[in-house]
Amino acid sequence: MAALSVSGVTRRGLTWIVLGAPRREFWSRFRKEKTLVVAETVEEAKKEPILVCPPLRSRTYIPPEDLQSRLESCVKEIFGSSVGNSWQDVSLEDGLLKFSFLARLADDLGHAVPNSRLHQMCRVRDVLDFYNVPIRDQSKFDELTASNLPPNVKITWGY
Amino acid sequence: TKVGGRASSFTVVHGLQGLNALAEEAVHPVAKPEAVVSAGPQAPVLRRCELPVPATRRPVQAWVESLRGYQQERVGLAELHPDVFSTAPRMDILHQVAIWQKNFKRISYAKTKTRAEVKGGGRKPWPQKGSGRSRHGSIRSPIWRGGGIAHGPRGPTSYYYMLPMKVRVQGLKVALTVKLAQDYLHIVDSLELPTSDPQYLTELARYRHWGDSVLLVDL
Repeated sequence: MAALSVSGVTRRGLTWIVLGAPRREFWSRFRKEKTLVVAETVEEAKKEPILVCPPLRSRTYIPPEDLQSRLESCVKEIFGSSVGNSWQDVSLEDGLLKFSFLARLADDLGHAVPNSRLHQMCRVRDVLDFYNVPIRDQSKFDELTASNLPPNVKITWGY
Repeated sequence: TKVGGRASSFTVVHGLQGLNALAEEAVHPVAKPEAVVSAGPQAPVLRRCELPVPATRRPVQAWVESLRGYQQERVGLAELHPDVFSTAPRMDILHQVAIWQKNFKRISYAKTKTRAEVKGGGRKPWPQKGSGRSRHGSIRSPIWRGGGIAHGPRGPTSYYYMLPMKVRVQGLKVALTVKLAQDYLHIVDSLELPTSDPQYLTELARYRHWGDSVLLVDL
């Protein structure tokens, strides 16, 4: 329909008539765009992998019995078998060797050297001393509650 | 600063973005990382200090982690400059900087009217002598009900002050030192996540025992 170009018609009326005919095409364009956008987001969501969180680990660490032999074999693997009997004095100055050694040990034993003590690990002996110390996850209060207390001692958490 | 233990432990994650760094917080002049490619299924990310380290001190080290997988801790080893990550633990400077950060933005808008500003009270309510009541000069003096306030807050007051730049910088260095020493600092190679799921990051922080609140800093 052609727009009425009558001088007597008000501006508001004119615009209403102008939009009257192409209104259906106008809104259908928006609807097409909406369906396209929805389809794209659905596909993107399907492409992302759904990662499942592994079960939480406890921070307790008990040094295994064969810790020395494990360390020795690790040293021989990474630094080569040329170290011999003085494997405890091998220096960890080189970044790459230190990283591979400590990462291998951490994956093996399930316990890593924390950031605050990495700079203290200069020799393999320091690493051995670190891994000989057991780590307990329980606080002192939990230990007390778990242990055998006399009947007149009660421990309550009251913050 | 942080409170150790279970309640509100606070982890700072440093992202080494390298060339495409959008510095949201310019923390300190950390050099960009150099990935040294070497043998192995995944090349470990090794970072050396680009700024010269004094001969008497040795750099501190930290693991470089990755956010791309739950178990991708220990992707590399980063060397950190001792003047930044191993300074003296100056708690007084840290306190000064924390109090400054809290107060310098403060503008208190409290304002009360004095006896001159309260409406009315220009006339002596009753003559000085003869009525038997106590003597007063105006009904808006501070001892009257509805009167002005004698020494109240006067207008918007600003608590702005600036600590010297070097003090503020030293405060940041002390904060980083303390976080590293308490194992609350984690260095990440990049802030890329494999999913857009918001739960992923919370579960990652839970799995890696990062603590209840985590601050991510992009370098």
